[in-house]
Amino acid sequence: MAQDLLVVDDLKMHFHTRDGVVKAVDGVSFTLNKGETIGVVGESGSGKSVTAMTMLRLIPMPPGKIEGGDVRFNGTSLITMSDDEIRKIRGNRIAMIFQDPMTSLNPVYRVGHQIAEPLMLHKGMSKKEAWARATELLEMVGIPHPSSRVKDYPHQFSGGMRQRVMIAMSLACDPDILIADEPTTALDVTIQAQILELMQELQKRTGSAIIMITHDLGVVADMADRILVMYAGKAVEYGTVDEVFYTPSHPYTWGLMDSLPRHDMTEKGELCPIKGQPPSLIDVPPGCSFSPRCPYAKDICKVETPLSRSIDGSHVAACHFAGDAGFTRNEMACALEVTAG
Amino acid sequence: MSKDNSPMGQDSKMPASGGLNATETAAYDALSAGPSRTLLGDAWRRLRKNKLAIVAIVWIVIMVVAAISADLWVPRFFGDPIAIETTTLSTNRLLAPSFTHPFGTDDLGRDVFSRVVYGARFSLAVGLIATAISIVIGLILGALAGYYGGLTDAFVMRGADVFFAFPYTLFAIAMIAVLGPGFINVFLAIGILGWPSIARVFRSSILSVKQQDYIQAARALGANDVRIMLHHILPNSVAPIIVYGTMSIGGAILTEAALSFLGMGIQPPTPSWGYMINASTKFLLTAPWLMLWPGFAILTTVLAFVLLGDGLRDALDVKMKD
Amino acid sequence: MLKYIARRILQMIPVFIGVTVLLFVMTAVVPGDPVKMITGERQISPAVYNQIRAEYAFDKPLPVQYGMYLNRLLHGDLGRSLMRGRDVRDMLVEKFPYTARLALCAIVIEIIIGIGAGMVSAIKRYSFADVLVTLSTSILVSLPVFWLGTLLQLFFGIYLKRWTGGAFYLPLSGAGGSGVFPEWVYLILPSITLASVSTAYAARIMRSQLLEVMGQDYIRTASAKGLSGSAVLWRHAIKNAMIPVVTFIGIDFGAMMSGAILTETVFNWPGVGNEVYNAVVRRDWPVVMGGVVVIVVLVMVINLLVDISYAFFDPRIRYGGGSEE
Repeated sequence: MAQDLLVVDDLKMHFHTRDGVVKAVDGVSFTLNKGETIGVVGESGSGKSVTAMTMLRLIPMPPGKIEGGDVRFNGTSLITMSDDEIRKIRGNRIAMIFQDPMTSLNPVYRVGHQIAEPLMLHKGMSKKEAWARATELLEMVGIPHPSSRVKDYPHQFSGGMRQRVMIAMSLACDPDILIADEPTTALDVTIQAQILELMQELQKRTGSAIIMITHDLGVVADMADRILVMYAGKAVEYGTVDEVFYTPSHPYTWGLMDSLPRHDMTEKGELCPIKGQPPSLIDVPPGCSFSPRCPYAKDICKVETPLSRSIDGSHVAACHFAGDAGFTRNEMACALEVTAG
Repeated sequence: MSKDNSPMGQDSKMPASGGLNATETAAYDALSAGPSRTLLGDAWRRLRKNKLAIVAIVWIVIMVVAAISADLWVPRFFGDPIAIETTTLSTNRLLAPSFTHPFGTDDLGRDVFSRVVYGARFSLAVGLIATAISIVIGLILGALAGYYGGLTDAFVMRGADVFFAFPYTLFAIAMIAVLGPGFINVFLAIGILGWPSIARVFRSSILSVKQQDYIQAARALGANDVRIMLHHILPNSVAPIIVYGTMSIGGAILTEAALSFLGMGIQPPTPSWGYMINASTKFLLTAPWLMLWPGFAILTTVLAFVLLGDGLRDALDVKMKD
Repeated sequence: MLKYIARRILQMIPVFIGVTVLLFVMTAVVPGDPVKMITGERQISPAVYNQIRAEYAFDKPLPVQYGMYLNRLLHGDLGRSLMRGRDVRDMLVEKFPYTARLALCAIVIEIIIGIGAGMVSAIKRYSFADVLVTLSTSILVSLPVFWLGTLLQLFFGIYLKRWTGGAFYLPLSGAGGSGVFPEWVYLILPSITLASVSTAYAARIMRSQLLEVMGQDYIRTASAKGLSGSAVLWRHAIKNAMIPVVTFIGIDFGAMMSGAILTETVFNWPGVGNEVYNAVVRRDWPVVMGGVVVIVVLVMVINLLVDISYAFFDPRIRYGGGSEE
């Protein structure tokens, strides 16, 4: 059997700061193969963006430090390769697009130049060739009048258009993996849908794998094949999209699902947010990091850190009771008291 | 514009490859847990950590105390800064630094240390009072411009542009040329210069705060305009004004020194640092030290205000945007 | 972009008027008999007195006088020196090249050293170089320019006299110098002095701009595309950081002109600044005011040019707004 395209194996990355060690990524694992999409879901501060940046070694290594685990791309470790080698991968075999298209493009360079840059760098194209390809790419992402727009500056595009430009830029070198870090968060709802649709279409065409990082479950429901749920730097649940949506097994995932406003809610229905705040990543409480906010927490949760428990095949969840018979979502969870802390 | 300031302010390392904003914030967000303290309390805490700023404050305090209390101890130990002892004139001229005269004596036999200390009075006074004048004018005009907008705003802003077109020191020279040298005129000349910056800063604070809900609420409660400005807007815009003000004090002292150097400031025999430097150029060959002391005095005093201003800006920075 | 230029020029007009009004008010307020301002100490007959009075309309209301003043200005008439009897304009034009040379040298120093130091300081943050630059800029900014000049004279001219052969102490006397050294030698110390404060500011601004730019999202994007550290720095960061720095240098020109007065006085450099100072000493007000006018107008023109050039550097201004939905 051919090896997996991407394997993240218990990755740990901590920031060593003056005030202490921030455990931003503390044990994340998943696999990704050609044509697949994995949705990485979690709140702000859960470590999902940091994980992606760590994979591409975009985190400056003081204060960051990789404390363990590995990231293997086609069998080769991204963590141990040299600086030159990882630079050959960035923008080339693995590309990344970021959240805010307004600020992610350099305002003083024309759009064509910015798209041509990785082409000239990685594919050795001449300026003419690269700009021609840039125009093609703009057309591919649905920008009208690409041959004249390619000469425009970023501020001459609207937000949605700019994100399309970013997508074009990232796909320039036909990467095997596209990492999309909250690509639609900064956009209007209608534009969001367009961008997601575009990404799906392009994926069908190019066959690249996508890592979709978002806090929005709705986004991944449509696009993802697998889902990784992160909390406080750790992976708390991982499985196929069907498994996670239909048989979620971790209290945090339950909380996420519950907190979504639902179609069938009556007008007087209350929203059910997860009580409490995400924990500080420095003073990580002992035991399960979710336990202070978990309505199902028992004594053991405060003491022992839960390991990943297999629910069913590759579906895992990091909870002491995950998969236990009878451990199911309580419909009245909203009303349950939570031991604050 | 993405902020690169973590709650730890200047203490955080800035990644050379940039772009850690989302993640840095994510990581450091976790650190800012804890009850928020008062604006000033927070700032004071941060300021205390800045060693340079503390040294600057100490130095300023020393100078202020020394200058104010000068009459008590300077003449007794070092000699009068102004009076000329005609009897000992020939022997006392241009003495090199010694125990009795730590900075030496000038060409009229006066103790230089004494003159430097007395000179501090005027320089510090100019710095503080001229800046105060600038701030008052700036606040009033900035308030009018920001609050009432429209024509008033256009008027004041054009006025600020006119003042901006004049180079600082040049304008002071021109004003002194018109008003004549002397105490009060120096205060005025320098004080009038500084208002545009303050006005602009205050005006933009007002503009950004004006629309906010609590202003409407205050109005609904019947507060009149002046009250709103004083109680609601001013506290929010205090931070940049404090920083500008501190830096301005340094600038005012330098400008006064320049004026005195050109003979347009305070007139002799009252000691003034700038004038002392000018007078000392005649004796570069015979008594070079004469030139050093007043220069150092200016340098250290202004430097203290500059460092203090820097420190204040860093300390207040998290609250202060642009 | 033409719209931008036109707007800028239009904005300058009221400012120019305001400036001339201010200057006029200052000249009008100068103590003493205004007629004497024109004629100086010379004895004149009552007839001439009245003639001058009528010519300058001293008996008419101020706005009329202002109008005539403005008119004279626009025709380049800056009055006549009290002491020398020459046209102020001619005197200043004569001295101007010296000041221009001095300022040019100073700006070159400012650009090379100021921007360079600022870059080094930002790139190697927290290193020894950074601390050195930060500290020395703080000191330079607090240094009185005229003291620095005197200090340099003392050090290089007197203490090191053996080695420099007195080049730095002998003042440049008139055009052509004292003949011992080529003129550019005499330029060294004054231009360093004049450049000092501006260089410090330029370094500071370059440093803070570069640091801010480095924190921007598009720098992260550039790294993610696989560009090396130096490519990211030189191609993406510096181009953005330079924009405000260049505009600062233009704006600082005004301060440099003020500094020129002090520097030229210390080094006895025969430029416009020195002329103004001498005029102050001998109370030759028309020369003082004339000098001020010249400098202010020059500063305004440079500021305008800087504003316009800003449009060239920043494509957001050059190609004004895009579609913002």
